[in-house]
Amino acid sequence: MEMPQYDPNTKPEFELYTIPSHSSWFRWDDIHETERTALKEFFDGSSISRTPKIYKEYRDFMINKYREEPSRRLTFTQVRKSLVGDVSLLHKVFRFLDEWGLINFGAVSRGDDSDNRDSSLGDTELKNQVKIEEGAPNGVRVVALPNSLKPISVPNSGADGSGNGKVAVAGETGVKLPPLASYSDVFGDLVKLKGFKCGSCGEQCNSGCYEYSKQGSFVICEKCFKNGNYGEDKSKDDFRFSDLGGNSLTHGATWTEAETLLLLESVMRHGDNWELVAQNVPTKSKLDCISKLIELPFGEFMMGSAHEMNSCPTGSLNSLKEGQSASSENQNDVKMEDQVHDQMNESKQNGDAATEEPPAKRKRIAPLSDGGSTLIKQVGGLDSVLDNLEHYQTFLLMDCSDASFEVAHISTMVGPHVTAAAAEAAVAALCNESSCPREIFDGDEDYLANGLSSPTMVSDPERALQVDASKMEENQSETQDASSEKNDVPLNLRIRTATATALGAAAANAKLLADQEDREIEHLVAIIIETQMKKLHSKINYFDDLELIMEKEYNEMMQLKECLVEERIDVLERALKTGVSKWRS
Amino acid sequence: MKLPATSSSKAPVKFRMPTADNLVPIRLDIETEGQRYKDAFTWNPSDPDSEVVVFAKRTVRDLKLPPQFITQIAQSIQTQLTEFRSYEGQDMYTAEKIVPIKLDLRVNHTLIKDHFLWDLNNYESDPEEFARTFCNDMGIEDPEVGPAVAFAIREQLYEIAIQSVASAREIKISKKGRRGAEHAISSKGGGNALDLMKLFRYNSSVVRKRKEWYVYEPIVDILSNEEVDALEAREDRNTR
Repeated sequence: MEMPQYDPNTKPEFELYTIPSHSSWFRWDDIHETERTALKEFFDGSSISRTPKIYKEYRDFMINKYREEPSRRLTFTQVRKSLVGDVSLLHKVFRFLDEWGLINFGAVSRGDDSDNRDSSLGDTELKNQVKIEEGAPNGVRVVALPNSLKPISVPNSGADGSGNGKVAVAGETGVKLPPLASYSDVFGDLVKLKGFKCGSCGEQCNSGCYEYSKQGSFVICEKCFKNGNYGEDKSKDDFRFSDLGGNSLTHGATWTEAETLLLLESVMRHGDNWELVAQNVPTKSKLDCISKLIELPFGEFMMGSAHEMNSCPTGSLNSLKEGQSASSENQNDVKMEDQVHDQMNESKQNGDAATEEPPAKRKRIAPLSDGGSTLIKQVGGLDSVLDNLEHYQTFLLMDCSDASFEVAHISTMVGPHVTAAAAEAAVAALCNESSCPREIFDGDEDYLANGLSSPTMVSDPERALQVDASKMEENQSETQDASSEKNDVPLNLRIRTATATALGAAAANAKLLADQEDREIEHLVAIIIETQMKKLHSKINYFDDLELIMEKEYNEMMQLKECLVEERIDVLERALKTGVSKWRS
Repeated sequence: MKLPATSSSKAPVKFRMPTADNLVPIRLDIETEGQRYKDAFTWNPSDPDSEVVVFAKRTVRDLKLPPQFITQIAQSIQTQLTEFRSYEGQDMYTAEKIVPIKLDLRVNHTLIKDHFLWDLNNYESDPEEFARTFCNDMGIEDPEVGPAVAFAIREQLYEIAIQSVASAREIKISKKGRRGAEHAISSKGGGNALDLMKLFRYNSSVVRKRKEWYVYEPIVDILSNEEVDALEAREDRNTR
């Protein structure tokens, strides 16, 4: 808190003005380092129109002007008319003071619509807000852009400029404030939703209400309207429907997901023809559509390439999603291409956490899964495949020296090409992932010359690797579906790269799992040892106690013994004194 | 205390718009076949010239104008751009000048009158930001007002920049020596600029007297339809 020191005599009592605690460096008589750094122009002596004295005058004037009326928000235009100087520079000073909360700290927040200012007056104004909303047009949106991307019903004031944001932030620094304008602004619309009680049945009108047009504040809910409970002296025609969920919130500023989707579709279809686009999106005007599209991250691309996109919509969607995360990308891709692979996604999920796959490869995996159908027919060899998978899983966890043994073992069960595949994967798993594709490239030429089955078998283990043994039965059909198949030679190369990389990924994952298991084991062993130690310690303590007790008892016994001896001597003495001549034994 | 550097003997600087972005104000006023197209916007001179035709085509399509407009629009833009570029190679003196900028424009239903000071030497000034703050503070909802205000500011700055180039050229021609040159600068450029020495003197205040506040205060009027029509008719008469 900071008190005006300049006229303590004229004011009968001190006025309290709040400024945030991070601005406590501020002094009337002085210019602080913060000011010097932020507003260098005044302090580098570059011009006669910019001196520290002038800066101080500007600053003091602005702060005093604000404090004449602390609850109203001081605008730049109000101060610049009273100050001589370049408006850009003045604006800079103004912004500086605003950001540090030296002005406009307790003021109501800035909003696009007048109703936002009203909302800070309290909940009692809520009902009137519907009327005001009707009048507020799609105004100049001069707010921080990123916030307006949110399609949910966070209202306009959620996208307020820095002034409002700073008010909210400063509020957390523990300075006493007038009612947090920002809270009611941000949640103003949500609170608004709850504000309507039906006039006839007394329930809350949630999604829509019918407003009596002759007398604004009377509303009834949809149910009552349908049932005909209009209330006294009111007829059906007098009611106007106002959709609370839709109207006030999507009034040009917030876009729901449905509308965004509609907008995107219409842009894809109509390209630059904004009239048609605006027609298709019923609740938004042309201006809104254009500005919304620009705000979307890929909006500009859509406008330019709307026609290209028409031809390969999934392709574009693919490229869109590639811009996002790697693993989710993978899932989306596969999902989109072939619905059969829903469970495949799970397996990929388990698999790909650690490694990144080059995005180019993903497109190739897509055609891989496309082919699928030929292998659905291949039912034979299920059992052998199952065994193979089990072995393959354990195999990867084992040492290099065992590799050949395992390969030999597998070869007894299944065909030679599977063995070759397993051998390939062994090398791949034990080397770096980056060299994996190269290895496979350099590997057996007859690996793929063998024909259809080998790639499928390779892909099978790769898929299954990422799945627990228990899930294997479920996945068998999918693994066969998933694995490629084209007889075309040019695709072999692609298949090779894809499978190689996938194998590498599988191998890395297996290693990670193994490491994790190791750590678990270590941890558990440590726990066991600790518990044993504790047991021993407590036993030792117990015995110590026992010893102590025994010692005490022993001492006591000794004392008793001495006592007895003394008593005996006593008795003997007395006996002798009284002259007992003979011992009567 | 360090003396402020004297502002009158600055080296000449290459011509450019004295704002953060070097954008050219372009004004179009084309009339063909009874249809009149008036527009004002800013153009980035570093855009390739092929963009001009593209822009013209798109404008005609968006506004559904007859196709004759395309060539005329493109020509007009091109002319103005060439003019701007012709200044670009030359020097101008950016002596510290704080010039008054006056706004007096009508955009759709909004009438704006304003008067404020602008520092020509401030290469980080941003007319668009000023326009944004202006519209925000005055609560103007018409989205066309902001760009119009920024355009008006830019246009005036452009004029002044051109003048300074012209005066720089004259100074070179006159070759009266250093002192003479300074004198010429202050007499030529001083018409518009404020006398900094007088204003920012040590014992004078930068806070204006209250009675002068109204001079520098913005006036924003929302007109009714009839008034708009009347004004438009008067404007047309004036330009013809």
